Amino acid sequence: MNEGPRRLHPGTIVLRIVTKAPQQVAGLVALAAATSRSGTEVMFGIVAALMIGAGLFTWIRWRSFTYTIADGALTIADGVLQRKRRSIPFERIQDVSIDQKLLARPFGLARVRIETGGGEADEATLDSVTLSEAARLRAVLRGAVPSVAVDAAAEGPARDVVFAMSPRRVLTMGMFGFSLVWVGLLFAGLNQVGDVIGWNWIDVRDWAGVARQEAMALATPLFAAMAAVVAVLVGAISGVLRTLLVEHGFRLEREGDRLRRVRGLATRTEIVLSLRRVQLALIERGMVSGRLGWAGLRLQTLGGSDDACGRQSVAPFAREDEVARVLAAAGYAPFDPLPLRPVAFGHVLRTGLVRGGLPLIGVIVAMVFLPLAGLALLLVPIPVVLAVLARRRHRYAIVGDTLQVTRGVLSKQVWIVPLARIQAVSVRRSVLQRLLGLATVHVDTAGAKGLGRPNIVDVAIDDAERLAATLLR
Amino acid sequence: MPLTLAPLDRRFVTVLRWRAAVAALIVLVVCGIGEAILYRQGWPNGIAGAVAIAIALWLVGIAPPRRFVHWGFALDERELHIAHGWLTRVHTIVPIGRVQHIDLTQGPIERGCGVATLVLHTAGTDHSLVTVPGLAREQAEMVRDRIRTAIEASPW
Repeated sequence: MNEGPRRLHPGTIVLRIVTKAPQQVAGLVALAAATSRSGTEVMFGIVAALMIGAGLFTWIRWRSFTYTIADGALTIADGVLQRKRRSIPFERIQDVSIDQKLLARPFGLARVRIETGGGEADEATLDSVTLSEAARLRAVLRGAVPSVAVDAAAEGPARDVVFAMSPRRVLTMGMFGFSLVWVGLLFAGLNQVGDVIGWNWIDVRDWAGVARQEAMALATPLFAAMAAVVAVLVGAISGVLRTLLVEHGFRLEREGDRLRRVRGLATRTEIVLSLRRVQLALIERGMVSGRLGWAGLRLQTLGGSDDACGRQSVAPFAREDEVARVLAAAGYAPFDPLPLRPVAFGHVLRTGLVRGGLPLIGVIVAMVFLPLAGLALLLVPIPVVLAVLARRRHRYAIVGDTLQVTRGVLSKQVWIVPLARIQAVSVRRSVLQRLLGLATVHVDTAGAKGLGRPNIVDVAIDDAERLAATLLR
Repeated sequence: MPLTLAPLDRRFVTVLRWRAAVAALIVLVVCGIGEAILYRQGWPNGIAGAVAIAIALWLVGIAPPRRFVHWGFALDERELHIAHGWLTRVHTIVPIGRVQHIDLTQGPIERGCGVATLVLHTAGTDHSLVTVPGLAREQAEMVRDRIRTAIEASPW
């Protein structure tokens, strides 16, 4: 299955020039301004020469980049002056993902990323090749078909759609995507822009049409109410837009032991998850949408992928039965909360102490200086109630050959971790936990960094030790 | 856990002491400078120095044996157990089959004391590096070889 070196699609040159144009325009304008004294002809001459030079440089870079499939490895040669060759054996390739940026779509081009599981630096990117070449490459690199059978790759094995989202579903999801973060960003942005274009909130208040002196009394609450309405509207609209951009046309298909996910409005992304490399399943329910029966499912896979932290959304907004269907496609049993038992009662004490204790001390100190601060004591029951709920919702059990953990009071998470995927277990006891006879069982899995681990916080020490031992059997 | 953890090599206390001594030296130097400034200002001197000496004594004299006591280590056919931590106690279990590769490292202090650190790499994220410090060089090599044969034999 050897073949000669290939180049990227020539359209790449145009694509690169177009994508880099915004950066260069600024430079060109500065240059034009600097040379304008020597007359327009000189100015245009220099600018034209530079543009041609940039084009030529892009062309040379394109020419020097080749990729070769030979001897069971993908070899990428790059570099104009300093040549660089990198060989990636097929068996080291963990995943091949294809995505299409907005600009690349009219050209029918796509970017192929080859993930080797060695972190960002080890990733190889072919930017850009034609869609059919991308599909062929993926088939070849995954070792699914010999490189000769180009047409067979395009058809591929039988696919069945596991989960898809209609536009209406995406819209519903967008409604729940309401986020004040975006409102904050927008307001911050407006403040920044306002300084530049001489438009600020004071003017808006003036525009309200009331004379300034009278307005002061009336406008401040009016303005606050208006701002709140605007904020809610902006939050809702931005949520819908953002969801639409990312999730439009969401489709999850199963082909053989792989899941293929396609989604996106402007940038259409396609990723393939190998089911053998899935480490755990995570079901998430939002604060409001979860109460209305919607859930999201993510699968954590080994090595790099499109999403941050290696957790791939395979059903962002689905009903219970649809989540179960995707889980089944991934080889997981549907989640059943019945056999799960809550963590030790000490969890209530500890979360109550940690979450409520420090603010309580703060309030008491404040009361010494400002007696009115004592009103804040009325808020104390909140962390207590939350602590009680936290213990009721934080449950765990070993069901079959999986560990199942639930957590979360407002938004809820469910982890399903096959025992075979647990890399290491550690039992931690802080000072407070030792006083209360508790321990936290940390469950280490491969593929995702950051928060959201299936750790079991605050179980009785004996239980923790027994659990740790069973997890690794 | 049913199995009991064995303590590390006694010489590891010396390693801990030396490491603490380096930290203590930094504290002493910083406090020495502080003391000099206080002296210039005409403040009562000796406070920063006393605090620094107390910290240094505690770091070098008292802390290392106490920290050493909480280190424990055991290796059976399937798992490696390692416990440490004085305030927060941590007991980590790594199934031998999940070990990706093993390093044996020896810093200058460790070399002087004849102990070595075993570093186990797993695919996990929290415990992608599990270190077992303070094993006698020969014991560390023995453990490494046992884990290596176990990795080769395991179907993973």
